[in-house]
Amino acid sequence: MRLLEIVAPIALLATLSACNRYQGGGTAVPPKSGIPQASLVATVPLGQIAGGLGSTAALSIPNPYQGNPQAIEQGKELYVRMNCAGCHAYNLQGNMGPDLTDAYWRYGGLPVQIYNTILEGRPQGMPAWGRALTPDDIWKLVAYIQSFGGAEPVAGWDHARQGDQAGEGIAPEAAPEAPGNKP
Amino acid sequence: MTTKPRTSHWHAILGVTLLAIASSSCSDLRSSASDTPPAGAPANSITGATFNFAPNDPPGEWHSQARDYANTRYSTLHQIDTSNAAKLRIAWTFSDGTENGHEAAPLVVDNTMYVVTPFPDILFALDLTKPGEPIKWSFKPDPSPTAKGKACCDTVNRGVTWANGKLIYNLLDDHTVAVDAKTGKQLWRTKMGNVERGETMTMAPFVAGKRVFVGNSGGEMGVWGWIAALDIDTGKELWRAYSTGSDEQVRIGTDFKPFYDHMKGKDLGVKTWPADMWRHGAGSVWAWISYDPQLNLIYHGTSNPSPRVPDQRPGDNLWTSTIFARDADTGMARWAYQTTPHDEWDYDAVNENILMDLPIRGQIRKTLVHFDRNAYAYTIDRTNGEVLLAAPFAYQNWSTGIDLKTGIPMVDKEKQPHPNVKLSHVCPPDLGGKDWEPAAASPRTGLVYASIFNLCMDVTDNKASYIPSTPYDGMDIHRYAAPGGNLGEFIAWNPVTATKVWSVKETYMTMSGVLATAGDLVFYGTADGWFRGVDARSGKVLWSQKLGSGIIGQPTTYLGPDGRQYIAIEAGIGGAATVHADLTAHAGEKFPAGGNTLYVFSLGGDTQ
Repeated sequence: MRLLEIVAPIALLATLSACNRYQGGGTAVPPKSGIPQASLVATVPLGQIAGGLGSTAALSIPNPYQGNPQAIEQGKELYVRMNCAGCHAYNLQGNMGPDLTDAYWRYGGLPVQIYNTILEGRPQGMPAWGRALTPDDIWKLVAYIQSFGGAEPVAGWDHARQGDQAGEGIAPEAAPEAPGNKP
Repeated sequence: MTTKPRTSHWHAILGVTLLAIASSSCSDLRSSASDTPPAGAPANSITGATFNFAPNDPPGEWHSQARDYANTRYSTLHQIDTSNAAKLRIAWTFSDGTENGHEAAPLVVDNTMYVVTPFPDILFALDLTKPGEPIKWSFKPDPSPTAKGKACCDTVNRGVTWANGKLIYNLLDDHTVAVDAKTGKQLWRTKMGNVERGETMTMAPFVAGKRVFVGNSGGEMGVWGWIAALDIDTGKELWRAYSTGSDEQVRIGTDFKPFYDHMKGKDLGVKTWPADMWRHGAGSVWAWISYDPQLNLIYHGTSNPSPRVPDQRPGDNLWTSTIFARDADTGMARWAYQTTPHDEWDYDAVNENILMDLPIRGQIRKTLVHFDRNAYAYTIDRTNGEVLLAAPFAYQNWSTGIDLKTGIPMVDKEKQPHPNVKLSHVCPPDLGGKDWEPAAASPRTGLVYASIFNLCMDVTDNKASYIPSTPYDGMDIHRYAAPGGNLGEFIAWNPVTATKVWSVKETYMTMSGVLATAGDLVFYGTADGWFRGVDARSGKVLWSQKLGSGIIGQPTTYLGPDGRQYIAIEAGIGGAATVHADLTAHAGEKFPAGGNTLYVFSLGGDTQ
């Protein structure tokens, strides 16, 4: 209850739900497929899997709100209201926190990796938003970030898991299907 | 050691100073300080300013960031002077291996140099008696990496202080540590704040007698600002004074006598805020402290209020953007002066207060001279907080002047930001007409020397939410050069007439500290990496050297074991100066990369 106690006196935070969450980012139409299951998202590791040359297919989880204009608008509203802009700047190009529009992602630039970074927080100052925001709101924030073009495309998930950049050349021996790269 | 002829008057002053050093006891700074009367001004002083240079540290050493209690950053060394400054060459260098902005001044005590890095706040001791100045020891305090993401303006450290054989400094994750200067071993470590509330610590501790004064950073993070005193031997907290809240919390009692009426009344630190907003209203104490040993008062400023969006916090928002005089023993406030009431532009009042005694309108006044971020230079009576003079030192358009009868600035309503309205051409921007980078003063000229900015901004306010550990900010800012096109300027200021004496305009920002010496030289650096030596009387640039990175450090000077004078400065761009990393002031040039190198200069340089 500590978070609730601290934020409750602040009148400008219009509403708080009973479960300690901030008022969500509006009413974008939920996608038909629904939002990804938390149990599946939780299988995405922050680090590389020891002993596993392959990787989890959960990395390819798409953002159900990607490209949804209403959700992007609601993500933008959340981005300002949750003070994201204070660290990552109003143009998302970074200040105290990293640039969210470039192709470099310290903790992975796939939609599900960005989702997990917002959900769990990261050790150099990024707070964990999993208690303050719903999964739905976090996916909308990811959609807003994706709308700036810096996130990795889901189609390249196998490539992106090692932090590689889209469009680069790959030597045959370094390709995922190369003999030495098979488990 | 070479000596140069001086006026007989100057010899007399030097003699008095040396006598005071010889008679003072190293173990009792307070008594040595009180026994030293201000020396008379030399005949060719432009203002007649006099100073108390307590604690009168040895002329060849540099023990604290500001060198003395009065915060003069003035050295009596004069082997390097206006006649030979052009012969300065690199003597030796040291790279500390860290990233981010290097804002600290190197210290020299007992033939050892001490430098502290930005996060992770590593402290190095370098042996000046050996060729190549090797590392004697290093101290790695391992602060929490979480703090990196809570520091508004880079993970800087503004320096270490030496006192009583201890090196004392603050870690970004809100700890104050004391390290044994001989061994490099930690003596005590005190947790002072909480990064989960957005607090960090970046300022240099200030030591007077047995007390260590420290404060927090986080004016953009909705912290509750404070200054605290610790016992130098144990690190135990003796008192803490908050910048907002009840009189008891602010340490305001019956001795508190502000000069101006609007700062008189009970619990103004609560009443000048909407309900409860003072609890995270900032007023952090993130820069400099000075001390008058005769009055036994410390002087410090407080930061901007949080959030940075003024329409969310109607009222004067006391005691943010305020200069305080406090009893050094008890922390009880004696007077306060709010430079920017209801601060709408993030102007703060944390910049240094230089203590000088000045002839003002025919009377010698004990003053403090303060270059505020709001672009006004104040000459204030330090006994009672009366503003004697206030005039702009940098380009500004937010106000039409300071009413000296009330102490209140006259604000231009056209330059007041409101949520979701884009406001164009507000000057200076949030960085101010000058930021934390400290000025220096010379008793030979009686002038004050400062690195200042020439900046404006377009700003749009967005309502901010208070969410602990996130920015409580709301300003969307685009900064650019003010009229003239230069981003920086180095000035000499007359604090008796409140006028600029001369200036050197710089293409890039000037955000370095300043060193003044008895060689009639002043030194400063630029954000694009030029380190310059200037004639303190004429403003003529006598020597410049391009360093490996931009300069936001603080130059110091010392005598080596060989008896020769050296000048030291760190190069490592970062801090607020990087806001202009995307501006290309010269066609075809790019802003310099970060760095982490200490440069030391001597006449002719040193080679084996």
